[in-house]
Amino acid sequence: MDDLERELRQGLLRLPAPPGLKRKIMARKRALDAEKTHRRVVFWQRLAASIVLCGAVGGGVTWHNVQEQRKGEAARQQVMMALRIAGRALDQVNAQLAARDSRQ
Amino acid sequence: MSLDWQPDFEQLVDEHQSMVFSLAFRMTGDRGLAEEIAQDVFLELDRNLGRIESPEHALNWLRRVTMNRSADALRRQRVRGIDLWVEMDENHGAIFEERSSPLGSRLEGLLATLPSPQRAALVLRYQEGLTPDEIAATLESPLATVKSNLQRGLKLLRAKAESRLKEYIRGT
Repeated sequence: MDDLERELRQGLLRLPAPPGLKRKIMARKRALDAEKTHRRVVFWQRLAASIVLCGAVGGGVTWHNVQEQRKGEAARQQVMMALRIAGRALDQVNAQLAARDSRQ
Repeated sequence: MSLDWQPDFEQLVDEHQSMVFSLAFRMTGDRGLAEEIAQDVFLELDRNLGRIESPEHALNWLRRVTMNRSADALRRQRVRGIDLWVEMDENHGAIFEERSSPLGSRLEGLLATLPSPQRAALVLRYQEGLTPDEIAATLESPLATVKSNLQRGLKLLRAKAESRLKEYIRGT
């Protein structure tokens, strides 16, 4: 090691950190932590709200579908009943016609 | 590697703030910018604290990230057309003179005139006492490049010192 290198080693000692550097770092860290916590809370709130909304919409759609199915079933029953009544009426007409034919 | 080592952020700041600030200041030549870099480096350390495995790892990580951040800052300033070291010659020489010998501050002034890769290698070599292998790992550069930067930097520095410091050296 020559003189220049020795001088460099002596001349390039670590400088003292500026006063308040650590305080500033810790303050920024606290601010970032608080922001991160706030962001996390907002994220969970939004997620919860989204889940509730999805549940409500999904429930609504399901309820609507069930109602439609029930209405469809009731309409089918009514149609079946009407067909049965009509069938019975036709049978009676048929029987009366057959009786008349036999009398003649 | 100490397996049960638990990083304590505040303690790491206490231990390494001087090293981080010195590296950033000697690379950028701007006290305000160096302080900003130091803050950013420690906040990045806080974000990556879970990955730090030992005190040595923390020290090397801080050196590497500080050098990267300083290089980025220099690059940004160059793009904006600002030469920080010109400002340093004018404004910051006084800071060195306050705490170091006149020869030391002259050497720092001369170091400031070197290209940044050579300055980075020399600062790590003489401020941090790293070997060329360790410098190569810190700067993520090939060993041959680091050795070349050290040799060229020293040669350039010697030439500048001989012409500028001849009078002082003769006097001592």
